[in-house]
Amino acid sequence: MNILIMLWKNLRRGYQTLLFPAHPRVTPRFRGLVQFDPALCTGCAVCRFRCTSRAIEFKAGKGEFTWSYNPGQCTFCGRCVEGCAEHALKEGHTEHALSQQEAVPPVYTTQGELKKSYTVARRPPAAKMATTATARSAGGDARTTAGLEAGATPATGGAQ
Amino acid sequence: MNLLTALARLLIFPGLLFAVPAAWFFLWVERKSVALMQERVGPPFMQPFWDFVKLLGKSTPPRPGIAGLLMRAWPLIAVSAAAGAVGLLPVLPSSGGFEGDLILLLALLELPSICIIAAGFSSRSIFGEIGSAREAALSVSYNIVFLLAIVSIAASQHTFRLEALASAPFTPLHWLGVLAILVCLPAKLHINPFSLPNAEQEIYSGPMTEYAGPELAMWELSHGLEWVAGTGLVATLVAPHIAIPWGGAWLAACIFVAISFGVVLLLSALAAATARLAIDSSVRFYWQCTLIFAVLAVSSAIFMRFRS
Repeated sequence: MNILIMLWKNLRRGYQTLLFPAHPRVTPRFRGLVQFDPALCTGCAVCRFRCTSRAIEFKAGKGEFTWSYNPGQCTFCGRCVEGCAEHALKEGHTEHALSQQEAVPPVYTTQGELKKSYTVARRPPAAKMATTATARSAGGDARTTAGLEAGATPATGGAQ
Repeated sequence: MNLLTALARLLIFPGLLFAVPAAWFFLWVERKSVALMQERVGPPFMQPFWDFVKLLGKSTPPRPGIAGLLMRAWPLIAVSAAAGAVGLLPVLPSSGGFEGDLILLLALLELPSICIIAAGFSSRSIFGEIGSAREAALSVSYNIVFLLAIVSIAASQHTFRLEALASAPFTPLHWLGVLAILVCLPAKLHINPFSLPNAEQEIYSGPMTEYAGPELAMWELSHGLEWVAGTGLVATLVAPHIAIPWGGAWLAACIFVAISFGVVLLLSALAAATARLAIDSSVRFYWQCTLIFAVLAVSSAIFMRFRS
Protein backbone atom coordinates (compact mmCIF):
# COMPACT_ATOMS: atom_id res chain seq x y z
CA MET A 1 0.00 0.00 0.00
CA ASN A 2 2.89 2.33 0.82
CA ILE A 3 4.25 1.97 -2.66
CA LEU A 4 0.92 3.11 -4.15
CA ILE A 5 0.93 6.17 -1.90
CA MET A 6 4.47 6.87 -3.03
CA LEU A 7 3.47 6.57 -6.70
CA TRP A 8 0.55 8.92 -6.18
CA LYS A 9 2.81 11.46 -4.46
CA ASN A 10 5.32 11.17 -7.31
CA LEU A 11 2.56 11.76 -9.86
CA ARG A 12 1.39 14.85 -8.02
CA ARG A 13 4.90 16.22 -7.49
CA GLY A 14 5.74 16.06 -11.19
CA TYR A 15 8.98 15.06 -12.79
CA GLN A 16 12.38 15.84 -11.36
CA THR A 17 14.49 15.03 -14.43
CA LEU A 18 15.28 17.44 -17.24
CA LEU A 19 14.73 17.32 -20.97
CA PHE A 20 17.83 17.12 -23.14
CA PRO A 21 18.99 20.71 -23.76
CA ALA A 22 18.65 21.66 -20.09
CA HIS A 23 21.78 21.24 -17.96
CA PRO A 24 21.58 19.95 -14.42
CA ARG A 25 23.33 21.99 -11.74
CA VAL A 26 26.69 20.64 -10.66
CA THR A 27 26.70 20.00 -6.96
CA PRO A 28 29.75 20.89 -4.82
CA ARG A 29 30.33 17.18 -4.23
CA PHE A 30 30.50 16.37 -7.95
CA ARG A 31 33.68 14.51 -8.81
CA GLY A 32 34.96 15.42 -12.25
CA LEU A 33 38.30 14.86 -13.96
CA VAL A 34 41.26 14.83 -11.59
CA GLN A 35 43.26 18.05 -11.82
CA PHE A 36 47.01 17.78 -11.27
CA ASP A 37 49.18 20.56 -9.93
CA PRO A 38 52.83 19.73 -10.75
CA ALA A 39 54.10 22.48 -8.49
CA LEU A 40 52.85 20.70 -5.40
CA CYS A 41 53.58 17.12 -6.37
CA THR A 42 56.48 15.51 -4.50
CA GLY A 43 56.39 12.31 -6.52
CA CYS A 44 55.44 10.08 -3.62
CA ALA A 45 53.21 7.99 -5.98
CA VAL A 46 50.60 7.35 -3.30
CA CYS A 47 47.94 8.29 -5.85
CA ARG A 48 49.19 5.59 -8.19
CA PHE A 49 48.88 2.96 -5.45
CA ARG A 50 45.44 4.19 -4.41
CA CYS A 51 44.12 4.18 -7.96
CA THR A 52 42.11 0.96 -8.26
CA SER A 53 41.26 1.47 -11.93
CA ARG A 54 44.91 2.09 -12.88
CA ALA A 55 44.07 5.41 -14.47
CA ILE A 56 47.13 6.96 -12.84
CA GLU A 57 50.59 5.86 -13.92
CA PHE A 58 53.83 6.88 -12.34
CA LYS A 59 57.29 6.39 -13.77
CA ALA A 60 60.29 7.35 -11.70
CA GLY A 61 63.32 8.53 -13.65
CA LYS A 62 66.69 9.96 -12.84
CA GLY A 63 66.09 13.37 -11.31
CA GLU A 64 62.53 13.51 -12.60
CA PHE A 65 59.31 11.53 -12.66
CA THR A 66 56.40 11.22 -15.07
CA TRP A 67 52.87 11.32 -13.79
CA SER A 68 50.09 10.29 -16.21
CA TYR A 69 46.36 10.32 -15.90
CA ASN A 70 43.95 8.56 -18.27
CA PRO A 71 40.39 9.90 -17.86
CA GLY A 72 39.08 7.08 -20.06
CA GLN A 73 40.03 4.61 -17.34
CA CYS A 74 39.12 6.75 -14.33
CA THR A 75 36.09 5.78 -12.24
CA PHE A 76 36.10 9.10 -10.36
CA CYS A 77 36.22 7.40 -6.99
CA GLY A 78 38.25 10.25 -5.51
CA ARG A 79 40.69 8.01 -3.64
CA CYS A 80 43.74 9.64 -5.24
CA VAL A 81 42.60 13.11 -4.18
CA GLU A 82 41.82 11.85 -0.71
CA GLY A 83 45.27 10.28 -0.34
CA CYS A 84 47.35 13.18 -1.70
CA ALA A 85 49.06 14.67 1.35
CA GLU A 86 50.45 17.60 -0.65
CA HIS A 87 47.07 18.54 -2.18
CA ALA A 88 48.56 18.30 -5.66
CA LEU A 89 45.41 16.58 -6.89
CA LYS A 90 41.92 18.00 -6.79
CA GLU A 91 38.57 17.04 -8.26
CA GLY A 92 37.39 19.14 -11.16
CA HIS A 93 33.78 20.18 -10.85
CA THR A 94 32.99 21.16 -14.40
CA GLU A 95 35.75 19.32 -16.21
CA HIS A 96 33.77 16.23 -17.03
CA ALA A 97 31.39 15.18 -19.78
CA LEU A 98 28.79 14.08 -17.25
CA SER A 99 28.67 17.51 -15.66
CA GLN A 100 27.26 18.69 -19.03
CA GLN A 101 28.85 22.08 -18.52
CA GLU A 102 31.12 21.73 -21.52
CA ALA A 103 29.79 22.50 -24.97
CA VAL A 104 31.57 19.53 -26.48
CA PRO A 105 32.22 16.50 -24.29
CA PRO A 106 35.60 14.81 -24.73
CA VAL A 107 35.48 12.30 -27.56
CA TYR A 108 38.14 9.70 -28.11
CA THR A 109 38.47 7.05 -30.77
CA THR A 110 41.53 5.16 -29.60
CA GLN A 111 42.41 3.86 -26.19
CA GLY A 112 44.41 6.32 -24.10
CA GLU A 113 43.74 9.29 -26.38
CA LEU A 114 42.68 11.46 -23.48
CA LYS A 115 45.71 10.50 -21.44
CA LYS A 116 47.72 13.42 -20.15
CA SER A 117 51.30 13.14 -18.91
CA TYR A 118 53.46 15.49 -16.88
CA THR A 119 57.19 15.17 -16.47
CA VAL A 120 58.21 16.86 -13.25
CA ALA A 121 61.75 17.47 -12.08
CA ARG A 122 62.50 16.18 -8.63
CA ARG A 123 63.44 18.86 -6.17
CA PRO A 124 65.80 18.61 -3.26
CA PRO A 125 63.99 18.08 0.06
CA ALA A 126 64.67 21.58 1.43
CA ALA A 127 63.67 23.35 -1.75
CA LYS A 128 60.63 21.10 -2.05
CA MET A 129 59.48 22.02 1.44
CA ALA A 130 60.06 25.69 0.75
CA THR A 131 58.10 25.50 -2.51
CA THR A 132 55.25 23.70 -0.82
CA ALA A 133 55.10 26.28 1.95
CA THR A 134 55.06 29.09 -0.60
CA ALA A 135 52.47 27.35 -2.68
CA ARG A 136 50.21 26.80 0.31
CA SER A 137 50.33 30.45 1.23
CA ALA A 138 49.82 31.64 -2.36
CA GLY A 139 46.83 31.21 -4.72
CA GLY A 140 46.20 28.60 -7.43
CA ASP A 141 47.79 30.57 -10.29
CA ALA A 142 50.94 31.23 -8.28
CA ARG A 143 51.26 27.53 -7.50
CA THR A 144 51.08 26.55 -11.16
CA THR A 145 53.69 29.12 -12.11
CA ALA A 146 55.98 27.95 -9.33
CA GLY A 147 55.56 24.37 -10.48
CA LEU A 148 56.41 25.15 -14.08
CA GLU A 149 59.44 27.14 -12.98
CA ALA A 150 60.51 24.15 -10.94
CA GLY A 151 60.62 22.04 -14.07
CA ALA A 152 57.13 20.63 -14.72
CA THR A 153 56.60 19.91 -18.38
CA PRO A 154 53.09 18.96 -19.42
CA ALA A 155 53.41 16.51 -22.25
CA THR A 156 51.00 16.23 -25.12
CA GLY A 157 47.70 14.50 -24.64
CA GLY A 158 44.00 14.82 -25.25
CA ALA A 159 41.86 17.60 -23.90
CA GLN A 160 40.60 17.05 -20.38
CA MET B 1 -18.70 -13.37 -41.34
CA ASN B 2 -18.18 -12.81 -45.02
CA LEU B 3 -14.85 -12.11 -46.69
CA LEU B 4 -15.39 -8.35 -46.92
CA THR B 5 -16.20 -8.03 -43.20
CA ALA B 6 -13.25 -10.22 -42.32
CA LEU B 7 -10.89 -8.08 -44.42
CA ALA B 8 -12.33 -4.86 -42.98
CA ARG B 9 -11.83 -6.18 -39.44
CA LEU B 10 -8.32 -7.38 -40.16
CA LEU B 11 -7.11 -4.36 -42.11
CA ILE B 12 -9.13 -1.40 -40.83
CA PHE B 13 -10.86 -1.68 -37.47
CA PRO B 14 -9.85 -3.08 -35.04
CA GLY B 15 -7.16 -4.45 -37.35
CA LEU B 16 -3.98 -2.93 -38.71
CA LEU B 17 -5.14 0.64 -39.47
CA PHE B 18 -6.32 1.08 -35.89
CA ALA B 19 -4.07 -1.41 -34.10
CA VAL B 20 -0.68 -0.13 -35.28
CA PRO B 21 -1.18 3.51 -34.11
CA ALA B 22 -2.90 2.14 -30.99
CA ALA B 23 0.14 -0.06 -30.35
CA TRP B 24 2.47 2.95 -30.48
CA PHE B 25 0.04 4.95 -28.34
CA PHE B 26 -0.20 2.25 -25.67
CA LEU B 27 3.57 1.81 -25.65
CA TRP B 28 3.90 5.56 -25.11
CA VAL B 29 1.23 5.57 -22.37
CA GLU B 30 3.00 2.73 -20.58
CA ARG B 31 6.45 4.34 -20.79
CA LYS B 32 5.18 7.82 -19.96
CA SER B 33 3.03 6.79 -17.01
CA VAL B 34 5.80 4.63 -15.51
CA ALA B 35 8.20 7.55 -15.97
CA LEU B 36 5.84 10.02 -14.27
CA MET B 37 5.30 7.62 -11.39
CA GLN B 38 9.09 7.45 -11.02
CA GLU B 39 9.48 11.26 -11.23
CA ARG B 40 11.00 11.16 -14.71
CA VAL B 41 10.00 13.17 -17.78
CA GLY B 42 9.41 10.13 -19.96
CA PRO B 43 9.41 9.95 -23.75
CA PRO B 44 7.67 12.46 -26.06
CA PHE B 45 4.35 11.45 -27.59
CA MET B 46 5.78 10.37 -30.94
CA GLN B 47 8.76 8.47 -29.51
CA PRO B 48 7.53 4.88 -30.15
CA PHE B 49 6.70 5.83 -33.76
CA TRP B 50 10.10 7.45 -34.35
CA ASP B 51 11.82 4.50 -32.67
CA PHE B 52 10.09 2.26 -35.19
CA VAL B 53 11.03 4.50 -38.14
CA LYS B 54 14.62 4.79 -36.94
CA LEU B 55 14.98 1.03 -36.58
CA LEU B 56 13.51 0.50 -40.05
CA GLY B 57 16.24 2.75 -41.45
CA LYS B 58 19.09 0.82 -39.85
CA SER B 59 20.81 -2.15 -41.39
CA THR B 60 21.30 -5.44 -39.62
CA PRO B 61 24.96 -6.27 -38.98
CA PRO B 62 26.18 -9.62 -40.32
CA ARG B 63 25.55 -12.50 -37.95
CA PRO B 64 27.73 -15.37 -39.04
CA GLY B 65 26.54 -18.81 -38.06
CA ILE B 66 22.93 -17.79 -37.47
CA ALA B 67 20.08 -18.94 -39.70
CA GLY B 68 19.11 -15.61 -41.29
CA LEU B 69 15.80 -16.72 -42.71
CA LEU B 70 14.53 -18.03 -39.39
CA MET B 71 15.72 -14.93 -37.57
CA ARG B 72 13.83 -12.76 -40.06
CA ALA B 73 10.72 -14.96 -39.99
CA TRP B 74 10.02 -14.98 -36.24
CA PRO B 75 9.25 -11.27 -35.81
CA LEU B 76 7.08 -11.28 -38.94
CA ILE B 77 5.08 -14.24 -37.67
CA ALA B 78 4.73 -12.55 -34.27
CA VAL B 79 3.45 -9.31 -35.85
CA SER B 80 1.00 -11.18 -38.09
CA ALA B 81 -0.33 -13.23 -35.18
CA ALA B 82 -0.73 -10.23 -32.87
CA ALA B 83 -2.42 -8.20 -35.63
CA GLY B 84 -4.73 -11.15 -36.36
CA ALA B 85 -5.59 -11.41 -32.67
CA VAL B 86 -6.55 -7.72 -32.56
CA GLY B 87 -8.61 -8.15 -35.74
CA LEU B 88 -10.62 -10.95 -34.13
CA LEU B 89 -11.74 -8.85 -31.15
CA PRO B 90 -15.48 -8.14 -31.37
CA VAL B 91 -15.24 -4.42 -30.71
CA LEU B 92 -18.18 -3.24 -32.77
CA PRO B 93 -21.67 -4.59 -32.04
CA SER B 94 -22.81 -7.33 -34.47
CA SER B 95 -19.48 -7.24 -36.28
CA GLY B 96 -19.61 -10.88 -37.20
CA GLY B 97 -17.40 -13.69 -36.08
CA PHE B 98 -17.65 -17.43 -36.21
CA GLU B 99 -18.08 -20.31 -33.81
CA GLY B 100 -14.69 -21.17 -32.33
CA ASP B 101 -13.04 -17.80 -32.98
CA LEU B 102 -12.12 -17.70 -29.27
CA ILE B 103 -9.84 -20.70 -29.78
CA LEU B 104 -8.21 -19.00 -32.77
CA LEU B 105 -7.75 -15.83 -30.70
CA LEU B 106 -6.08 -17.78 -27.88
CA ALA B 107 -3.78 -19.47 -30.39
CA LEU B 108 -2.87 -16.15 -32.02
CA LEU B 109 -2.25 -14.54 -28.62
CA GLU B 110 0.16 -17.35 -27.76
CA LEU B 111 2.01 -17.33 -31.07
CA PRO B 112 4.18 -14.22 -30.36
CA SER B 113 5.35 -15.85 -27.15
CA ILE B 114 6.32 -19.03 -29.04
CA CYS B 115 8.09 -16.90 -31.66
CA ILE B 116 10.09 -15.15 -28.90
CA ILE B 117 11.15 -18.53 -27.49
CA ALA B 118 12.14 -19.78 -30.94
CA ALA B 119 13.94 -16.52 -31.79
CA GLY B 120 16.03 -16.69 -28.64
CA PHE B 121 17.18 -20.21 -29.41
CA SER B 122 17.71 -19.40 -33.11
CA SER B 123 19.99 -16.51 -32.21
CA ARG B 124 22.47 -18.91 -30.55
CA SER B 125 23.25 -16.23 -28.00
CA ILE B 126 23.63 -17.27 -24.37
CA PHE B 127 21.48 -14.30 -23.33
CA GLY B 128 18.86 -15.23 -25.93
CA GLU B 129 18.79 -18.80 -24.73
CA ILE B 130 18.42 -17.77 -21.08
CA GLY B 131 15.61 -15.36 -22.04
CA SER B 132 13.87 -18.03 -24.10
CA ALA B 133 14.11 -20.59 -21.32
CA ARG B 134 12.62 -18.04 -18.93
CA GLU B 135 9.85 -17.18 -21.40
CA ALA B 136 9.04 -20.87 -21.81
CA ALA B 137 8.88 -21.46 -18.05
CA LEU B 138 6.76 -18.35 -17.57
CA SER B 139 4.48 -19.23 -20.47
CA VAL B 140 3.78 -22.69 -19.04
CA SER B 141 2.97 -21.10 -15.68
CA TYR B 142 0.65 -18.24 -16.60
CA ASN B 143 -1.07 -19.98 -19.49
CA ILE B 144 -2.66 -22.54 -17.17
CA VAL B 145 -4.48 -19.75 -15.34
CA PHE B 146 -5.08 -17.67 -18.48
CA LEU B 147 -6.55 -20.48 -20.57
CA LEU B 148 -8.60 -22.00 -17.76
CA ALA B 149 -10.09 -18.60 -16.94
CA ILE B 150 -11.16 -17.92 -20.52
CA VAL B 151 -12.32 -21.47 -21.18
CA SER B 152 -14.42 -21.48 -18.01
CA ILE B 153 -16.12 -18.22 -19.05
CA ALA B 154 -16.79 -19.74 -22.46
CA ALA B 155 -18.00 -23.04 -21.02
CA SER B 156 -20.42 -21.30 -18.69
CA GLN B 157 -21.95 -19.49 -21.68
CA HIS B 158 -22.01 -22.65 -23.84
CA THR B 159 -20.14 -20.95 -26.65
CA PHE B 160 -16.68 -20.42 -28.05
CA ARG B 161 -17.81 -17.43 -30.09
CA LEU B 162 -16.22 -14.16 -28.99
CA GLU B 163 -19.18 -11.95 -29.84
CA ALA B 164 -21.53 -14.08 -27.75
CA LEU B 165 -19.09 -13.92 -24.84
CA ALA B 166 -18.73 -10.14 -25.15
CA SER B 167 -22.50 -9.63 -25.03
CA ALA B 168 -23.08 -12.22 -22.29
CA PRO B 169 -24.61 -10.98 -19.01
CA PHE B 170 -22.13 -10.26 -16.23
CA THR B 171 -21.87 -12.99 -13.61
CA PRO B 172 -19.45 -13.42 -10.69
CA LEU B 173 -17.69 -16.06 -12.82
CA HIS B 174 -17.23 -13.51 -15.58
CA TRP B 175 -15.51 -11.10 -13.19
CA LEU B 176 -13.42 -13.91 -11.70
CA GLY B 177 -12.24 -14.83 -15.18
CA VAL B 178 -11.42 -11.21 -16.04
CA LEU B 179 -9.46 -10.89 -12.79
CA ALA B 180 -7.49 -14.03 -13.65
CA ILE B 181 -6.75 -12.64 -17.12
CA LEU B 182 -5.58 -9.36 -15.57
CA VAL B 183 -3.24 -11.27 -13.27
CA CYS B 184 -1.73 -13.05 -16.28
CA LEU B 185 -1.35 -9.99 -18.52
CA PRO B 186 1.88 -8.63 -16.90
CA ALA B 187 3.58 -11.95 -17.65
CA LYS B 188 2.16 -12.04 -21.16
CA LEU B 189 3.37 -8.49 -21.84
CA HIS B 190 6.75 -8.97 -20.11
CA ILE B 191 6.36 -6.08 -17.71
CA ASN B 192 7.39 -5.90 -14.07
CA PRO B 193 7.26 -7.97 -11.94
CA PHE B 194 7.44 -10.58 -14.72
CA SER B 195 9.90 -8.89 -17.06
CA LEU B 196 12.20 -11.90 -16.85
CA PRO B 197 12.53 -12.93 -20.50
CA ASN B 198 13.88 -9.55 -21.61
CA ALA B 199 15.39 -8.57 -18.27
CA GLU B 200 17.30 -5.36 -18.93
CA GLN B 201 20.61 -4.86 -17.12
CA GLU B 202 20.63 -8.57 -16.47
CA ILE B 203 20.63 -10.55 -19.71
CA TYR B 204 20.69 -7.50 -22.07
CA SER B 205 17.34 -7.98 -23.76
CA GLY B 206 17.07 -11.76 -23.70
CA PRO B 207 15.83 -13.23 -26.98
CA MET B 208 16.11 -9.80 -28.66
CA THR B 209 19.85 -9.46 -27.97
CA GLU B 210 20.94 -10.45 -31.47
CA TYR B 211 18.24 -8.42 -33.20
CA ALA B 212 18.73 -5.02 -34.80
CA GLY B 213 17.26 -2.81 -37.49
CA PRO B 214 13.95 -3.67 -39.19
CA GLU B 215 13.70 -7.02 -37.41
CA LEU B 216 13.89 -5.34 -34.01
CA ALA B 217 11.33 -2.80 -35.25
CA MET B 218 8.99 -5.69 -36.01
CA TRP B 219 9.51 -7.09 -32.51
CA GLU B 220 8.68 -3.67 -31.03
CA LEU B 221 5.56 -3.51 -33.17
CA SER B 222 4.60 -7.03 -32.18
CA HIS B 223 5.01 -6.07 -28.52
CA GLY B 224 2.76 -3.05 -29.01
CA LEU B 225 0.16 -5.14 -30.81
CA GLU B 226 0.26 -7.63 -27.94
CA TRP B 227 -0.60 -4.72 -25.65
CA VAL B 228 -3.59 -3.83 -27.84
CA ALA B 229 -4.72 -7.46 -28.05
CA GLY B 230 -4.27 -8.22 -24.35
CA THR B 231 -5.92 -5.08 -23.03
CA GLY B 232 -8.50 -5.29 -25.83
CA LEU B 233 -9.49 -8.79 -24.74
CA VAL B 234 -10.20 -7.47 -21.24
CA ALA B 235 -12.04 -4.48 -22.74
CA THR B 236 -14.31 -6.66 -24.90
CA LEU B 237 -15.13 -8.88 -21.92
CA VAL B 238 -16.03 -6.04 -19.57
CA ALA B 239 -17.39 -3.41 -21.98
CA PRO B 240 -21.12 -2.88 -21.57
CA HIS B 241 -23.04 -3.39 -24.79
CA ILE B 242 -25.30 -0.40 -25.25
CA ALA B 243 -27.87 -0.68 -28.01
CA ILE B 244 -28.04 2.71 -29.72
CA PRO B 245 -29.47 2.87 -33.25
CA TRP B 246 -27.26 5.76 -34.40
CA GLY B 247 -23.61 6.12 -33.45
CA GLY B 248 -23.53 2.84 -31.58
CA ALA B 249 -20.38 1.74 -33.38
CA TRP B 250 -18.54 4.95 -32.45
CA LEU B 251 -19.63 4.62 -28.84
CA ALA B 252 -18.54 0.98 -28.73
CA ALA B 253 -15.15 1.91 -30.21
CA CYS B 254 -14.72 4.74 -27.70
CA ILE B 255 -15.64 2.47 -24.77
CA PHE B 256 -13.20 -0.14 -26.08
CA VAL B 257 -10.36 2.40 -26.29
CA ALA B 258 -11.19 3.91 -22.88
CA ILE B 259 -11.24 0.56 -21.08
CA SER B 260 -8.04 -0.55 -22.85
CA PHE B 261 -6.44 2.74 -21.81
CA GLY B 262 -7.52 2.14 -18.21
CA VAL B 263 -6.05 -1.36 -18.25
CA VAL B 264 -2.77 0.00 -19.66
CA LEU B 265 -2.62 2.55 -16.81
CA LEU B 266 -3.36 -0.17 -14.26
CA LEU B 267 -0.61 -2.42 -15.61
CA SER B 268 1.80 0.52 -15.79
CA ALA B 269 1.15 1.31 -12.14
CA LEU B 270 1.86 -2.31 -11.30
CA ALA B 271 5.07 -2.19 -13.35
CA ALA B 272 6.19 1.01 -11.61
CA ALA B 273 5.33 -0.30 -8.15
CA THR B 274 7.10 -3.63 -8.38
CA ALA B 275 10.56 -4.98 -8.99
CA ARG B 276 11.47 -7.95 -11.14
CA LEU B 277 10.86 -11.33 -9.53
CA ALA B 278 13.19 -14.26 -9.95
CA ILE B 279 11.99 -17.05 -12.24
CA ASP B 280 11.32 -19.49 -9.40
CA SER B 281 9.24 -16.89 -7.53
CA SER B 282 7.29 -16.08 -10.71
CA VAL B 283 6.55 -19.72 -11.44
CA ARG B 284 5.60 -20.31 -7.80
CA PHE B 285 3.31 -17.27 -7.90
CA TYR B 286 1.33 -18.60 -10.83
CA TRP B 287 1.27 -22.24 -9.74
CA GLN B 288 0.56 -21.67 -6.06
CA CYS B 289 -1.18 -18.31 -5.68
CA THR B 290 -3.20 -17.63 -8.80
CA LEU B 291 -4.16 -21.16 -9.72
CA ILE B 292 -6.93 -20.70 -7.17
CA PHE B 293 -8.59 -18.26 -9.60
CA ALA B 294 -8.56 -20.83 -12.34
CA VAL B 295 -9.82 -23.62 -10.07
CA LEU B 296 -12.63 -21.37 -8.80
CA ALA B 297 -13.53 -20.35 -12.35
CA VAL B 298 -13.59 -23.92 -13.63
CA SER B 299 -15.63 -25.18 -10.69
CA SER B 300 -18.08 -22.30 -11.12
CA ALA B 301 -18.35 -23.10 -14.82
CA ILE B 302 -19.06 -26.78 -14.10
CA PHE B 303 -21.62 -25.77 -11.48
CA MET B 304 -23.34 -23.38 -13.89
CA ARG B 305 -23.45 -25.99 -16.62
CA PHE B 306 -25.08 -28.53 -14.33
CA ARG B 307 -27.56 -25.95 -13.08
CA SER B 308 -28.58 -24.97 -16.57
